[in-house]
Amino acid sequence: MEKISFFDQIARNKRNSILLSIFIIALVVALVYTIAYLLLPGFAIFFLVFAAAIMVAHAYTSYNYGDRIVLKATSAKPADPIEHVYLINTVEGLSIAAGIPPPKVYVVDDDEINAFACGKDPKHASIAVTTGALKNLNRTELEGVVGHEISHIANYDIRFMTLVAVLVGLVAILSYMLLRSYRVTKGEKGKAGLLIFAGFLLAIFAPIVSRLVQAMISRRREFSADAGSAQLTRYPEGLASALEKILKINRGKMKVSESISHLFISDPNRSPLDELFATHPPLEKRIKILKAM
Amino acid sequence: MSPVGWAITLIVVLIIVILVLISVYFINRIIVLSNRIDNAWSQIDVQLKKRADLVPNLVETVKGYMKHEQKAIEMVTKARERMMTAGGVEEKIKAGRELTAALKTIFALAENYPNLKANENFKLLQEQLEGIESKIAYARQFYNDSTLSYNNMISTIPGRWFAGTMHRVQRPYFEITEEERAPVRVSF
Repeated sequence: MEKISFFDQIARNKRNSILLSIFIIALVVALVYTIAYLLLPGFAIFFLVFAAAIMVAHAYTSYNYGDRIVLKATSAKPADPIEHVYLINTVEGLSIAAGIPPPKVYVVDDDEINAFACGKDPKHASIAVTTGALKNLNRTELEGVVGHEISHIANYDIRFMTLVAVLVGLVAILSYMLLRSYRVTKGEKGKAGLLIFAGFLLAIFAPIVSRLVQAMISRRREFSADAGSAQLTRYPEGLASALEKILKINRGKMKVSESISHLFISDPNRSPLDELFATHPPLEKRIKILKAM
Repeated sequence: MSPVGWAITLIVVLIIVILVLISVYFINRIIVLSNRIDNAWSQIDVQLKKRADLVPNLVETVKGYMKHEQKAIEMVTKARERMMTAGGVEEKIKAGRELTAALKTIFALAENYPNLKANENFKLLQEQLEGIESKIAYARQFYNDSTLSYNNMISTIPGRWFAGTMHRVQRPYFEITEEERAPVRVSF
């Protein structure tokens, strides 16, 4: 049995993280410049510099503290060393199998079965599991789910996915602001109509594009993390059966922001638009692949 | 020198640089993979030590309840002693196996003592020891995975050319006894 080589994927994740940061910085600076031009044309350049400085600082912060932002957004609590000893042991065991340091373990109080991992690299990583998962999953199923998250950590998916989570949230907020400012200045005529139109387009399409990027990057990763889990646990049926339970029990109505949904093992927010924006491949397909391993 | 001479010199220099870079890559790779195996062993060692540290606690807890199982308790104590004094890798593995078997006996016997099974301390110890047991299994798996990557590296071309000059030989796998073997083995 050949060990899956993570090298290509690690390199790709590191490169994508840098590209994404540059792309988002450029996008947001353009957005801010547009807003400034609409509201205070005289100070637009000042805002441009200001926005660039803020965005570089923001990228730095989300690289180093993105995990804390995500953990806070899901109200994850550190796992109790006595009550959750079994979960902690499972996480530590599988991190040994993957050859990474043990990540910090968190528990999210929610009835749905779900889990996610975040952080910038295996040395600064966290795993969170819902109470619903602890209640409904048996030993091998929980191992499968934890194995999936551990393999996200080992191949640096978490760095890229955590960055995406923080940045997608930011783009959504900014384009909302831009749309608002467009409404404010609507009445005034002769104000560089083309730029207003461009700003309007940007405000509408930036969130859609960033959501699409979010969906595309995470669907493929889920398959490879499933395979990684099978590699670590040597028992793909465990994860397959966990996914079957998710299919049966979860309703996709967790109270988490759409911008972090791609971090989860199963989509926490199901919506009618999933055909286009789904951050996860269909569970049925993942189960089928796992069972064929 | 004529332009053709320059061109040839340049190409030769380029080829040498590329060859040096490739050599550095493969030599480093072989060293990294070999170090990973050593690191994998130390992971196993850490868990074996942790388990040995918990045993006196377990014996203390169990003694009061299992008065008629002196032999089983003694077996655990002895296996632990051997574990603590074991020197080499081989010896440690053997002692580790004996301790695993002895602990299994204790936990099987504990089924007959409802009071012991209800003891909070015992429950916690059992969960911890089971956790360590599975960590040992995972550490062993990591050891074998690391050994496989290393052995593949030094037995395929061009790795084997470098391994030869570095006097590197294939490393042995961690033997798994029949009863330790997981129920399901998959390959893909």
